[in-house]
Amino acid sequence: MAQKLETKQNYGKLGMRASENIYQCLIGVLLALLASTMILPFLYVLVISFTDSTAYVSGSFYLWPKKWSTEAYVLILRGRGFLDALRASLFITFVGTPINVCANAGLAYMLSKDDLIGRGVINKLVMFTMLFGAGMIPNFINIRNLGLINSWFANILPGACGAWTVMVMKSFFQELPRDIEEAAEIDGCGTMRMFFQIVLPLSLAMLATFTLFALVSYWNCYFSAIMYLTDTSKMPLQVYLQKIVLSTDISEVVDVQDDLVNKVPQEVMRMASLVVVVFPILCIYPFMQKYFAKGVMVGAVKG
Amino acid sequence: MVAAQKRHSVLARLLKYRWLYLLGLPGMAILFVFHYLPMGSLVMAFEDYDPWVGLMNSPFVGLKHFSKLFNDSKFYLMLWNTLKISILSLITFPAPIILALLLNEVRSAAFKKTIQTAVYLPHFLSWTIVVSLTFFLLSSEQGLINKIIVSSGGEAHAFLFDKSIIYFIIVIQSVWKGVGWGSIVYLAAIAGIDQGLYEAARIDGANKFQSILHITLPCILPTVAVMLILKMGSIISVDFEQVLLMTNALVKEKLEVFEVYIYQNGVKSGSTQFSYTTAIGMFKSVVSTILVITTNRIVSSNGMKGIM
Repeated sequence: MAQKLETKQNYGKLGMRASENIYQCLIGVLLALLASTMILPFLYVLVISFTDSTAYVSGSFYLWPKKWSTEAYVLILRGRGFLDALRASLFITFVGTPINVCANAGLAYMLSKDDLIGRGVINKLVMFTMLFGAGMIPNFINIRNLGLINSWFANILPGACGAWTVMVMKSFFQELPRDIEEAAEIDGCGTMRMFFQIVLPLSLAMLATFTLFALVSYWNCYFSAIMYLTDTSKMPLQVYLQKIVLSTDISEVVDVQDDLVNKVPQEVMRMASLVVVVFPILCIYPFMQKYFAKGVMVGAVKG
Repeated sequence: MVAAQKRHSVLARLLKYRWLYLLGLPGMAILFVFHYLPMGSLVMAFEDYDPWVGLMNSPFVGLKHFSKLFNDSKFYLMLWNTLKISILSLITFPAPIILALLLNEVRSAAFKKTIQTAVYLPHFLSWTIVVSLTFFLLSSEQGLINKIIVSSGGEAHAFLFDKSIIYFIIVIQSVWKGVGWGSIVYLAAIAGIDQGLYEAARIDGANKFQSILHITLPCILPTVAVMLILKMGSIISVDFEQVLLMTNALVKEKLEVFEVYIYQNGVKSGSTQFSYTTAIGMFKSVVSTILVITTNRIVSSNGMKGIM
C-alpha cells in the first residue's frame, strides 16, 4: 500500500517535471523566435554584403553567395562620400559626448545641494523644458540667429543638456554617502576638487552609462543634420546611409575613382554601407548592457 | 538689523556656492539658449513674419494663422493620421508586458541573458538603420520577401508603396525597436514582488498560469497603469524621424503628420510659411503639454509616481 502511494507520488513528480520541461521549451521557443527577428536581419545583410559581383544575380533569392568578396567594402571605405560622412560623425560624437556629460553632470551636481539659493526655481525651469518645446521653426530660426547653420555644433549643443538626464544624475548624487563629502569639507576641500576628485570617481558606473548613451545618440544623429547642415560634404553617416539606400545613382554618393563601382551590385553596396554604419554601435553595445544591467537604468526608468 | 543680517547670510551663501554655480553654468546656458531663447520666436505665430523686417517689426495679425489652421482640411487630415498611428500603437501596448512575463518564467539564467541581449539591441539603432532593414526586407526588387515570392513563382508586391499596409509596417517597426527596452520597467516591477506569495500559492495548489494571473499581474498593475497613462500623454505625437523616412509619393497622404508638414513646408520651402507652420507647431506643443500635465495629475492623484 505504502509502496503504491510512493510510486504514485513519483509518477506525479515525474509528470510535473515533464510538464515543467515542456513549459520551459515552449517559452524558450517563443523567446528565441522573437530574438531571432532582431538578429537574423543583420546576419542576412552581413552575408549578402560580401557577395562577389560575378556571383550576384539580380532579383534572385539566395542566403549564401557562391563567391565571396570584400569589393563593396573596399569601394565604400575608399570613397569620398564615406570619408566625409565619417569625419562628420566622429566630430559630432567625440566632441559632443564630453560636452554632454560635463554639462549634465555639472548641473545635476549643483541641483543636488539642498541649501543652494535659487535651486527650486532652476529645478522648475529645467523640468519645464521636458514639458514644453518651442517647436521646429523657432528652433531653426534660433540656430540661424546664432550663426550655427552648417556647423556641427548645431547637432551637438541643443541636445547636450537634457532634463531627464539631469534629474537621474541629480538623484544619484543625492544618494551618495554624505559623510565622505562632509569629511572632505572639514579637511578644507574646495567645491571643484570635491566634484572632480571625490564625487565623479564615486559615480563612474553612472557616468559610463550616460557617456555610452550620449555616444549612441550622437552617432545616430539624423534629423538635426538634414535640418541644420547645408553642405553635402558635412553630412554625417546616418544621412550617407539613407542616401545610399534610397538613391538610384549610388556611385555619386559613394564618390570613388574606380570603375568597379558600376559593376558591384547596388544591393551589395547598400548592405555593406549599413554594416559599416551599424558596426560601432554593435561594438559598444556589450559595454552598455553591462552597465544598464547593473540597475542604474532600471532605477532611472522607474523615475 | 535682522534684514541686514539676512541679506548678509544670503550673500555669504551665494559666495560659498560660487564654484557650484560655475559647475552648473554650462548646462544652464545650454538649456537657456536652446530651449528658452526659441520660445521668443513663438510670437511669429501671431504675426505675418517677414525675415527682412524682423520679429519686432513684422505686422501683428492676432489669431489669423490659428483660424486658418482650424479651417484647413489638411489640419484635420494630419490630426486624424496622427491619432490613427497612435491608436494602432496603443494596441501593441501589452507586448512588452507579455515579453517581461515570458522572460520571468525562464529558468536558465544564461538563456535569459542571451535573449535580453538580443531584444534590447534595436533600441540603440537609429531609425535610418531600422528603415534600411525594412527596405532590404520589403522593397519590390531587392527585398527578401519579394525575392522569395518571385523565386517561388509569385508576383512581386510593392509593400512600401502600399497605402493599405503602411500603418501596419510602421507599428511593427515600433514594436520591433521598442519591445525589449519597454520590458525593462516591467521586469523591475516583477523582481520587486514578494517571493513568499508564489510559495503560498504553490502550496495552495495553484499552477503556473494561475500564479501569473492572480499574483504577478495584480502586483505589476500599478506600473502598467502608470505606463498606460503616460502613453496617453503622447497620443498626438508620433516618431517623426520614422515617419519622415518611411514617406514616399504613394503613401504620402497616409503619413502626413504635423512635424513632417512643418519640416517640408516651413524649413524646406523658405520663410514665407514660417508663421503658419509655427502656429501648427505651437498648437501641437500646447496640446501635448496639456495632455502630459493632465496624465501626470491622474497618475499622482492615484498615489503613484509620475514623471514629475
